Parts: sequence; structure tokens; C-alpha cells
Amino acid sequence: MSDVTPQATSTPVALEKESASAAAPTVRKGADPLKIILPLAVGLLFLIFWDAMVRLSHSDIFPKPWDVARGIVELIRKGLLLKYIVASLFRVTIGFGLAVLAGVPSGLLLGWFIRAFQAFNPMIQMLRPISPIAWIPVAILWFGISDLAPIFLIFLASVFPITVSAIAAVRNMQPVYLRAAQNFGLTRGQLFRRVIFPSCLPQIITGIRIALGVAWLVVVAAEMIAVNSGLGYLIIDARNAGKRYDLVVAGMVMIGVIGLILDILVRQLEKFDEVRWGYANNE
Amino acid sequence: MSLKKTVLVWMVAWTFVICALHASLNLHFNPFAKKEAARGETYRVGFLPVTCHLTCPVTDFINKQVAGKSLYEPIRFNSFPELKEAYLSGYMPATFILAPMAIALREQGVPIKIVYLGHRDGTAVMVHKDSHIYNMQDLRGKRIAVPNRYSNQRLLFFRALKQANMKIEDVQLVEMPPPDMPAALYSKAVDAICSGEPFMAQTELDGYGRVLWLTKDVWPNFISCVLVVREDMIRDHHDTVQQLVDGIAKSGKWLEKSMDNRMGAAQFVSKNYYMQDPRLLTFVLSKPPDRVKYSRLTPLKPDFEEIEALGKESGVLKGTAHFEDYVDASFADTATNKVEAWDYTEPKP
Repeated sequence: MSDVTPQATSTPVALEKESASAAAPTVRKGADPLKIILPLAVGLLFLIFWDAMVRLSHSDIFPKPWDVARGIVELIRKGLLLKYIVASLFRVTIGFGLAVLAGVPSGLLLGWFIRAFQAFNPMIQMLRPISPIAWIPVAILWFGISDLAPIFLIFLASVFPITVSAIAAVRNMQPVYLRAAQNFGLTRGQLFRRVIFPSCLPQIITGIRIALGVAWLVVVAAEMIAVNSGLGYLIIDARNAGKRYDLVVAGMVMIGVIGLILDILVRQLEKFDEVRWGYANNE
Repeated sequence: MSLKKTVLVWMVAWTFVICALHASLNLHFNPFAKKEAARGETYRVGFLPVTCHLTCPVTDFINKQVAGKSLYEPIRFNSFPELKEAYLSGYMPATFILAPMAIALREQGVPIKIVYLGHRDGTAVMVHKDSHIYNMQDLRGKRIAVPNRYSNQRLLFFRALKQANMKIEDVQLVEMPPPDMPAALYSKAVDAICSGEPFMAQTELDGYGRVLWLTKDVWPNFISCVLVVREDMIRDHHDTVQQLVDGIAKSGKWLEKSMDNRMGAAQFVSKNYYMQDPRLLTFVLSKPPDRVKYSRLTPLKPDFEEIEALGKESGVLKGTAHFEDYVDASFADTATNKVEAWDYTEPKP
């Protein structure tokens, strides 16, 4: 999902310490201009490469970056962009939210009760690899043409990574926590709330981050169903609208940009102590 | 704030905001608006943004202009599989659909009746303008894109091959959604494309496609799409179905009445229903004017017998359902005798 590992986030802190002793130029935390400039430069290079490729191939069908920007402006002016973003975010919020509500508790339980795990794991592993696209016909037959069908598809795509990461988190828990808890004489409920859940949280958050990426990935497929709004719908609709590949790419760009924002937001969770302790090299 | 509190507060706030925005922007839900007087039941009709289904949005638009409301609500789909599944799930009692697909559904026991035709003709075979393909014989060994196994365009190709004394093995047919066909022809991924309009005209309009032949040259009065209705709808709401067929019949006659009407339809349908550049429909509906026709829309036995025979030959139909099983022409007969074109003139832009 992300190219930055949790370890990398601690680099400025480490640099700060080194600079104090070795008298190297001071790099203050949060004020590193390269952090902004480098990704922008890569983005700019990509746009130049894209533009050059379209010009070199003399394609008058594939849009140049400028055409796509104009397409986005056209969507904004028609008031469609906001509508479509809201529709997609709504479906992902509900589908993904339900997946978290269902996936985390069931994953914790399946991780804890070995017999339940043995019973359900083959079924989970069987359902997990089925692409949401394969579920489209079933979703239409069950839910008709409403928001429910894409929500169902997004739920299906994101519930398994969450469940599986929660199961793995419980099963990989260090036995020392349990022994300590037993020494304190915790009840089963207390054990779950005060020991198991907090100790699994960092891994669960990682699972949730991956699942959110998947949920957002599936939005195009989910909106292939005859809903009439959403960024996925924008792409499908633009294909029907003749030579509007600028709008197809505009849809792709918007999905990418929002995906990036979502990832940045979820990564904020790692700043909390409850999660941070789970990653190595964090001081 | 602790993690638990932050996440809870943000999640609840976010869910509330996004639900409220979605309700107001996309579902047009307004809790402060006065409740409308009971509108009475409306029925959904499925359609695709293609010229074969043009009478559906035309009927809806003119109905709203003339009567202010419509008994039927057109629901736009983007491909036939989804449209078919929505119909099967009971989401809509009526839809425009490919003729062989309707017959195949009947064979599989779906309670479906064809009540009217969507159009006549309106299909073309396009090749790249740089290619050296000028007749059917030149297509030998070439790759040709057709829309769907159950499309009449595929059967059309079977017929054209037979007329040219060729066999199906002489060409390579690939299935491809029509919206993807222009790009495939442009990039020469296929040698010829065959589907309903406006996708074929688009390649001509953009300057890289050339017409190899139009349906009227190979299969005059070709039918690709038909209007179907569920049998229980016919049984329980006979008059409502008649109203639907009457409306579609009026639109067909209106479109055939004058070129001005066709140009008006190209504008309002492109802008309000198909979300396409109006130039495209303007082109399809006028160059030439008989590229697609909206006359003689009553389902006739000989036409369907030919589709049945070709369907059987090409392997998509079993031949177990016959004209009387899957057609109810009574609505079309009544409409043909009764209705006139809409008394409506689209204001010039």
C-alpha cells in the first residue's frame, strides 16, 4: 500500500540526535522541504513522460494530461465531480465500516477459539480469493439496482483481509501477555478487553489499512452495476459516451488522489501510542 | 485524546456527513420538503444509451413535456448482462433487450413476452479506413468484433457470411462490449467491428472508420432490440402495458415524421439521457436518414422465424420456443391502429 515503512517515519528523529553530536546541518522534524519536493518532482516527471508518449504515438484518442485536467474542470462545472466522489465515498464508508464491525470481532474470536478456527477457516479461505467482479450477478439478483449491491461488493472485498489479520494477530500474540494476565486473575471478558484486543491492535490496524485500499480498489467494479453515480460509474459512463477517454482517465486520477488521501488519514492512526508500540524501532 | 475516542468521534462524524451528503446530492432526499401528493405507481423500463433503444427516452421526455409526468421511469444501464440480471431479479417489469436474448430467456423458462420492436436497421460493419477490406471476401481470416453471443449482430454476420458463400470458420469472431469497439478499431486490434449505433458512426465521425456495409444492404428491416414485458404484468396490468406500447409507438411515428423531430431528439436525448455529444446522434439519425428506422415496429412472425433459425444454426438457441410463446403482438396491433405521432415540437436551440 504505502512505500513508507513505519521505521522510516522515525528517521528525522534519529537524524536530529545525530546532528547534535556530529555538528551536521540541523534537520528539524516536519520542516523537511524535500519531503514535499521529491514526490512533486516525480509527479511532474510522470506528467511530462505521459504527454511525450501521447505526442510521440500521434494518438488522437488517448488524452494528454491537459485534456484530463479540462475533463476534471468540466465535471466540476457540471457539479458532477462532488456528487460522484460523495457517492463513492458513501458506498465505501458503509461497506468498509460494516466489514470492520463484522471482521474484527469475528477474527478475534476465530483466533482465540481454535475449534472455531478449524471449522471456519477453510470456508474463509475459499471465499477470500473470489473476485468481487464474480459476485456482480449475484449482487444484482439479491439487491437489485440500488446502493446496497455495490456496498455488498465492497463489504465482501474488505471483510476478509480484516478477519484474516485479526485471526493472525491473536494467534501470534506473545504468550507472556497471557501468562501475566493469568497471574493477575483476569476474567475472560477483562482478558479480551484489556489484553488480547490492545495487543492485537497494531496488526489489526495494518489489516484495516490494507482492506481500505482494497475497498477503494473495488469501487470501480462495484459501480459497474447500474447505479447512476460514483467515480466507478463515471468511468463506465464515459466509455458509453463516445470518445471521452479524458473522462475515463479523469475518473482514474480522482480515484488515485482520494486513495492517497485515505491512506494518509489511516496512517495517522499509527501516531497513537496504542498502535505505535507494535512497530519495531519506534522510540 | 485517546485512540478509541478519536476514532469513535471521527467515524461517527464522517459517517453522518457522508450519508447526509449522499442523501441530498445523489438521492435528492430533502426532509424539509413537503410530501408530494401520492404519485401513483410507476413502472421501470430498462434501456441502454444506444439508438436501438431511442424510443424509450424519447417517450419519457415528450411525456414529461406534454403531460408533466410519466407512468414509466426509464432506467439506464451500461451493458446487457446487468440489464438482463436486473430484469430477472424483478427490479423492472419491462425492458429493451436483444431479440435473441429474449428468445433464449423464454427457452430457459423466464416468463417474458416481446410486445414491440425497438427499431429497424441501425447496425453497421465498420473497417479501418486504411485497410484493404472492401467486401465480405476480404474479411477471410480477419478478426471481427461482435457485441454479445446473444446479439442479433452476431446472427447478422452469420447471414452475411452465408450470402457471400462463406463459412463461420472463415472469420474469427470475438465478443466485445460495443463501447470498447471504436478504440479497438482505431488501434487495429480488430479488423472489423459490428454493433448497433452510435458506436459505429463514432468511428466515421472521428475519421478513422469506413462503412463496409449497413444492415439495409444485407438484412433489410433488421431487428436488434425488442421491448419485453413480464407475463404477470400483462396479466395483471393489461392497460398499463398498452399505455407503454402506445407511448413507444407514438415516439416511433414522431421520429419518422420529420427530420426536425429527429434532430430535436438527438439534442434532448444526448443531453438528458445518453450523456453523449449531440453531434453523434445527429450524425446517426441523419447520415443517411434510413441508417436507423423507427417504423413497422409490430413484431412479425417471418422476421422472428428467421432469427430463430439463425440462432439455432449458430448455437445460441435451442429452437424450443416459438413465435407464439415469446411474442404478444396484440398491444402492437392496437397501438398501430390507434395512435398517431406525438403532437410535440422540440423548440430549436
